[in-house]
Amino acid sequence: MENNLDFKNAKERIEHIEDVLSSVAAGDLDKRLQTDIEDDLTGIEEAINILIEDLTYELKQSKKMKEELEDKLNKIQEQQKTIIQQQEDLLELSSPVTKVWDNVLILPVIGTLDSQRTQIMMENLLQKIVETGCTIAILDITGVPTVDTQVANHLLKTVTAARLLGADCIISGISPAIAQTIVHLGIDLSSIKTKATLQDAMLFAMKKNNQLFEGKIHLEHKEQEEDDK
Amino acid sequence: MNLDIHDKKIPIIKIRDFLIVSIQVDMHDKLAVQLQSQILHEIERTGAKGVLIDISVLEMVDSFIGRMLSGMASMAAIMDAAVVIVGMQPAVAITLVELGLEMPGVDTALDMEKGMEMLEKKLREKES
Repeated sequence: MENNLDFKNAKERIEHIEDVLSSVAAGDLDKRLQTDIEDDLTGIEEAINILIEDLTYELKQSKKMKEELEDKLNKIQEQQKTIIQQQEDLLELSSPVTKVWDNVLILPVIGTLDSQRTQIMMENLLQKIVETGCTIAILDITGVPTVDTQVANHLLKTVTAARLLGADCIISGISPAIAQTIVHLGIDLSSIKTKATLQDAMLFAMKKNNQLFEGKIHLEHKEQEEDDK
Repeated sequence: MNLDIHDKKIPIIKIRDFLIVSIQVDMHDKLAVQLQSQILHEIERTGAKGVLIDISVLEMVDSFIGRMLSGMASMAAIMDAAVVIVGMQPAVAITLVELGLEMPGVDTALDMEKGMEMLEKKLREKES
């Protein structure tokens, strides 16, 4: 049985509906409309209640999903971090610069060279040159299977940068295949000291070392002679 | 513009036959040009046979400064003075190479001591 709408009450009830709707809009989903009086407004009130119920449910669902997604995102981010860390480690490991003799650094390169790797190689070598104060660096490319224009260019850049710091760079371990490709590609390596084997490069480095050393001794002698006079 | 910056001169120290220039401030173009003529004048005045330029504090060298440095080496060479640039930082070297400024004909050394040895060796070679 539907009662006819009581206009005196109606205004109050509509205000109540408005109140509830605005609090729902503000995010408070606990409020419900009273539906004990049955009249024309009851349908609307019930509908609004059902809507609020639905909204509460959907919100709960989406909250749950959001949490799950955040969890997954965190996990993925952690994995990403590990991957980046490992990549960095790999790059670090793949270009070890070691001091093998007084004043002589060696950088053995194994495997294919790409831009990123050569960049890190260059940085490592230059850093090490500055740290140790070595003036001769040997870049051994025995373990590099092929050389293309880009890689040759990077090698040239490395040697030039080392020269700018004040260190001499020798490239050793040039295989017949690499020699062929370099000449075929028309890359000019004449400005760079190249040696066939690491042994040759080491001998050259030591000879150069001796020259430096003798120069120093010569200088000291000269100074002493001058002092004696 | 701040007048202080432009009035500041980089000191040039003469030791025996060499001039020692230690750049301790950030280089800007005007200072670079000023330094260039300052060094050349000093070579003329003192008759120095070698110039050591220490750039170990410079964290950034742009193409202008790079060109200025290599230009200065050639100019000093005509005036019979050898220029050695010492203490370039790895990052600076990489930048210069990437810019294609390989500074041919400019001698470099890792530090002041090695630069000094290099200059002495050069002078010896010239004399003999």
